[in-house]
Amino acid sequence: MLMSASAYRELQANPYRPWPARITSIMDLTEHEKLFELRIIDNEVREAFKFDSGQFVELSIFGVGEAPISISSAPSKQGFIELCVRNAGDVTGALHRKQCGDVVGLRGPFGRGFPFSEMKGHDVLLVAGGLGIAPLKSLINHIHDDRHDFGKVTILYGARNPDEVLFRYQFDMWKHRDDFDLKLTVDEADDTWTDGVGRVTGLFEELDIDPSVTYGAICGPPVMYRYVIDEMREKKMDVDKIYVSFERRMKCGIGKCGHCGVGHQYACVDGPVFNYWEAMNLQEAI
Amino acid sequence: MFFRVMDKERVPELVSGLSESFELFGPVAKGEKFVLDRIEDPAELRLDFDTTLLPPKKLFFPPEDQMMRFRVADNEVLDDEVFAAPRMIFGLHPCDINALMLMDNVFTGDYEDPYYTARRASTMIVGVSCVPTESCFCNAWGTDEVHWGFDVFLTDIGDRYFVSVHSVKGAELLDQHVVTREITDEDTAAFQERTRAFKSSFTEELDTAQLPLLLDAKFDDKLWDELGERCLSCGACSMVCPTCYCFDVKDRLAADGKTGVRVRTWDSCQFSEFAEVAHGDNFRASRASRVKYRYYHKQWGYLSKFERVLCVGCGRCAKACLAGISPREVVKALEKGGEC
Amino acid sequence: MAARVVVIGLASDFGCQVQMTNIEDDLLDVLGTIDLVYWQLAASGHMPEEYDVAIVEGAVTTDAHVETLKRVRETASVVIALGACAATGGIPALGATGDLEAHYGCVYGQDAAQVACGRITPMAIDSVIGVDYVVPGCPIDTEEFLVVLSRALLGLKSRVPAEPMCAICKTKENVCFFERGELCLGVITRTGCGARCITLGRPCTGCRGVAPEANLDSAIALLAEKGITAERLFERARLYNTLEEALDR
Repeated sequence: MLMSASAYRELQANPYRPWPARITSIMDLTEHEKLFELRIIDNEVREAFKFDSGQFVELSIFGVGEAPISISSAPSKQGFIELCVRNAGDVTGALHRKQCGDVVGLRGPFGRGFPFSEMKGHDVLLVAGGLGIAPLKSLINHIHDDRHDFGKVTILYGARNPDEVLFRYQFDMWKHRDDFDLKLTVDEADDTWTDGVGRVTGLFEELDIDPSVTYGAICGPPVMYRYVIDEMREKKMDVDKIYVSFERRMKCGIGKCGHCGVGHQYACVDGPVFNYWEAMNLQEAI
Repeated sequence: MFFRVMDKERVPELVSGLSESFELFGPVAKGEKFVLDRIEDPAELRLDFDTTLLPPKKLFFPPEDQMMRFRVADNEVLDDEVFAAPRMIFGLHPCDINALMLMDNVFTGDYEDPYYTARRASTMIVGVSCVPTESCFCNAWGTDEVHWGFDVFLTDIGDRYFVSVHSVKGAELLDQHVVTREITDEDTAAFQERTRAFKSSFTEELDTAQLPLLLDAKFDDKLWDELGERCLSCGACSMVCPTCYCFDVKDRLAADGKTGVRVRTWDSCQFSEFAEVAHGDNFRASRASRVKYRYYHKQWGYLSKFERVLCVGCGRCAKACLAGISPREVVKALEKGGEC
Repeated sequence: MAARVVVIGLASDFGCQVQMTNIEDDLLDVLGTIDLVYWQLAASGHMPEEYDVAIVEGAVTTDAHVETLKRVRETASVVIALGACAATGGIPALGATGDLEAHYGCVYGQDAAQVACGRITPMAIDSVIGVDYVVPGCPIDTEEFLVVLSRALLGLKSRVPAEPMCAICKTKENVCFFERGELCLGVITRTGCGARCITLGRPCTGCRGVAPEANLDSAIALLAEKGITAERLFERARLYNTLEEALDR
């Protein structure tokens, strides 16, 4: 059960006040990305902290600021969250300089995630580009932990080059499993690369999916959505079964500060996950 | 709601009485303009004001507002208390009272904003009727009238005020501080006559038919490019707007770097960085897209959630815009086509 | 270890270094967070060989300045431009147009030759070296200086505001100078000072530089409507912005 706004209020009267959370593990993923495992220090809050794949937290480092980060770990794993963070701005830069054991702040979980229970009983096609794998990894792991509830699971993931492929250790393991159809591709290959080369859309050619039972989920750089959606529509997938997750500037995460406006909605409370029918009706979305 | 009548000459004694129990704010002169400020002397109160430079939002959601104090070393919040003294604003026009109610929708809801709501709860409001100026278009949105959102409302009917009393506290305070009398048929007739005269004194009836749909239908209209060429990217419109609530959040360190304050400051969707994400994508990089978003959000985004437009027709933004961009003209251009 | 900081002045009146002393209450706290190894205004000794942060005031007007800056850039990991002279060329850059020698002659008469040797056309310091952080203004705003310094010490990104200053001016409830038909450069000048001069009753003189997001074409058009010519706007703006390319029109 997701943590509701009223449950949140009971734990924290001031929704802008972050909960102290300890960094319990840091893993280097690429030159620019690290995976942080965080545990909320307060027992009651940590136990109440229930989220959906696709939701995000506001990560708070006092003296620097806050940044919205999507949760990469699965809701089926409780007591901690994982954040896959690129060193791109002030807050993420400061987080990258933190050590295991340091305390940061967390607010959330916020926003609307992927409709996991609605997806159950169906095939899923998950498409990620670059850092877009961060929220999708939560969904992938959740499906993994609930594998018998899903039909065919297909994952397409594109990165710029082999060095930028995130979670490669996990994908290398999964490539050998027959209950996940995993296809990786990079724009520029090197000698070590044995998977596909080219855009992620190129992987659709050999794809065999049953559109009547397939849910799609997409996350990647802004330019990617249009092309991937076109491929999914080409495969006759329904507009309301394709889900997209948007990244926008956010300050508050709770529908007040106005920064994350996308069309007539706010990505922080109405999204960041929208289905394509909704997204089509959001100006400036795709 | 019940009604009383109060002679105008009684205002100073009422104000004096009220200032004993409240931090009293009201319109006072600043040069040829007016601002909402502390009333120390009843003679400073100018109920004949046209509009105030900044709207009352500044008293609930200040331009810079401390959210919490923190300590850097262990990332700990030291204090996030909101201190809200009992206050009263004496003299808000219907547009501004309506604007506060629109702001309430944003700052309450699922995640209540403690800073805004604490100040709102500790502040009483006395409204006062107005005379439309050339730049007013509250009649377009029905915000020329206000039916709640105040404790007491004073409608000018010549040498006296027709007093609408909405809250118990308002009734008690009136009782305590000033002599009023029961309304007569003559008073009610004067109230009605004043309302008719008020309604007919607007310079125009703005056509707002299907505005949200038009915003979508004309999303790529060249109107927005023209406005983008004129816009100065200064954000003045957002600052003076009684319903613009967007904010930025910043951490300010003390000089020793050990503690600091997290503050929020008024922000504007007209600023270039407003929709830019950390690694560089800017979802509204052009001026035209930013000008458009202001209208799109006010006339459709907000409406899609709260069934009201996020504008009260106060005309402040039109006056503040050196480039002369005015919502009235933009709405006309959308409705009728062409330039503005 | 506290960052080793040097403060040096090139061509300027040292006003911004003096302004640093005006931080008063907070100055000792700031000094507690850094290792101030050299402050030109207050020191009689020499620049140390090694330091981490260089705060540079003043414009570049001589060959020696160029050499100093190059050394600074080789040594410091962070360079902060302090004040209008360093940031945009400021007042010294008024000498950048016309005959440089004639300017010196005009000011110093017969002594002109001895005033400074190796003189060159005035410029901002970023014409010579890369600059990491900027505190614009004549003089600097002490609050902004503290914010920039702390960002530099924390390794945060440089954030020089890009917009003009009308928004912050509105929050101060100032009556707009244009309403009285007076020219105010706030409409094209970089925000960040809290519209200080305007709030004190004087129109903005543009000391913080032309805002990158300023819409000059629109500003010129609206000023014309108010009877203020583009020539007047540019003449006023060039006082601090002689080198500003956006004003070359």
